[in-house]
Amino acid sequence: MRKKILAVLSLACLAGCLAAPVLHFLGKLSLEGNKRLFLAASVGWFVLAPLWARRR
Amino acid sequence: MTGRFASIASRMDGLYEFDREPVAPGKLQSGGKFAGLFAGEHVAATEFVIGAFFVLHGVTARDLFSGLLLGNLLAVLSWTFICAPIAVRTRLTLYWYLRKIAGPGLTIVYNLANAVLYCILAGAMIAVSATAVGLAFGIKTPALGAVLPSSLSWVLLTIVIGALFTALAILGFERLSRFAEVCSPWIFIVFVAGGLAVLPRLGVRPGFGNFWEIATTKIWNGLPVSGQDKFGLWHVVFFAWFCNLAMHVGLSDMAVLRYARKWTYGLYSAFGMYPGHMLAWICSGIMVAGVGREMNPGLMAYEALGLAGVAGLLLAGWTTANPTLYRAGLALQTITPGWPRWKVTLAAGAITSVLSCFPVFFVKLLDYVAIYGLVLMPIGAVVFAEHWLFPRLGIEQYSAEKRNWAFNRAALGVWAGTLTACFLMPIHLYFRWLPGYLLALVSYVILSLGRKN
Repeated sequence: MRKKILAVLSLACLAGCLAAPVLHFLGKLSLEGNKRLFLAASVGWFVLAPLWARRR
Repeated sequence: MTGRFASIASRMDGLYEFDREPVAPGKLQSGGKFAGLFAGEHVAATEFVIGAFFVLHGVTARDLFSGLLLGNLLAVLSWTFICAPIAVRTRLTLYWYLRKIAGPGLTIVYNLANAVLYCILAGAMIAVSATAVGLAFGIKTPALGAVLPSSLSWVLLTIVIGALFTALAILGFERLSRFAEVCSPWIFIVFVAGGLAVLPRLGVRPGFGNFWEIATTKIWNGLPVSGQDKFGLWHVVFFAWFCNLAMHVGLSDMAVLRYARKWTYGLYSAFGMYPGHMLAWICSGIMVAGVGREMNPGLMAYEALGLAGVAGLLLAGWTTANPTLYRAGLALQTITPGWPRWKVTLAAGAITSVLSCFPVFFVKLLDYVAIYGLVLMPIGAVVFAEHWLFPRLGIEQYSAEKRNWAFNRAALGVWAGTLTACFLMPIHLYFRWLPGYLLALVSYVILSLGRKN
């Protein structure tokens, strides 16, 4: 169960990485905002993904 | 076989002992594993450079899109119809199959050639990563025509990054490989996100209504930058096709595809080609247009995604340089008797770090990729002829193994002769491998007719 939650959260972070430039492209986020959101989502991915990937 | 060769060959056999036997039926892998493997392997730091170079070489948008579609299709078909069937029928790595065909002596030469080529490739990856770190320290990226290091700071930077990559490879290849698996999907996202983030700067409106207009006028506008050749459709088609020539036509991916249940698993290479060698190249083309067509991967990544983009470039370089260093070390181990694994990796890392100082391998990456494939391609032709053509023509197979030859002279002659012929061909470097491959096939059959049963 915990593995599933970690997997969902990390994939949400990966989706966040993609959402940042999409929002910027749509004019809803500045370039700086895009960079900050991408960085935050990336940190989330690298923190969470190894936890469930290691348990596979 | 002379004593010295026998000793080297026996040491080399020991290194590859673990994959000496054909893959057992219980160890065959599912198609999904191959899809994941190909997808992870073909999104590397070098994609930042390759896609950008197409823009600098003045490829038009139409030529780029149609060329990448066709060229990558040809690459997928090469994996499917050339590499996978031989891998599935033999269940052997190229190393062991080549040993039966060409003899242990020629296999040593092939291994050493591979080691040198791997070191240069890893050096190019280090140089690409250096552009990311250099940005923070104000170190200028070498000019497009540069051959020798442009400054002491560039030399120091590449040596430090090379030493760091080497140290990490020595400390734990296995653990790093697992970390690379986590990096792989994120690195692909870095490319897509980078391309998307730059589009508004180039004037593309939400909804992509004017994308084609911007693509044809501001990105792939058909105008090469000063000092670069003009590329057309066939340059793109052939580049996409031969980019992994050593792996498919050169058959080194037999090591992977021997685990496939069916030869049709070669089609899974499309999961590497279309996201990695099409989408990622398109995105890096957009990114270089966003920085005024300056070949500076570090700047391209930073302008699009900030620090995370720079980290993405660094990780892309590192995760691909790491297995490349490992393979180079494995190949070098044949001439370093009794050396432990760390010492060989250190030697490969030292060679690679020195090579990475020379910007020629990074700024001429496209030509290097062509030469890399070209050098190893004749061996693929020799194996293909021996496997498929010899039984049909009634020529004895695996003579080197049966007669205990150290060198199959016909194979050696074909390799050297084909490379000489390719060197002399009055056509663009990118187009030479195909006539070279046909020449190697035909000449190997002719030279082996004496072994007709």
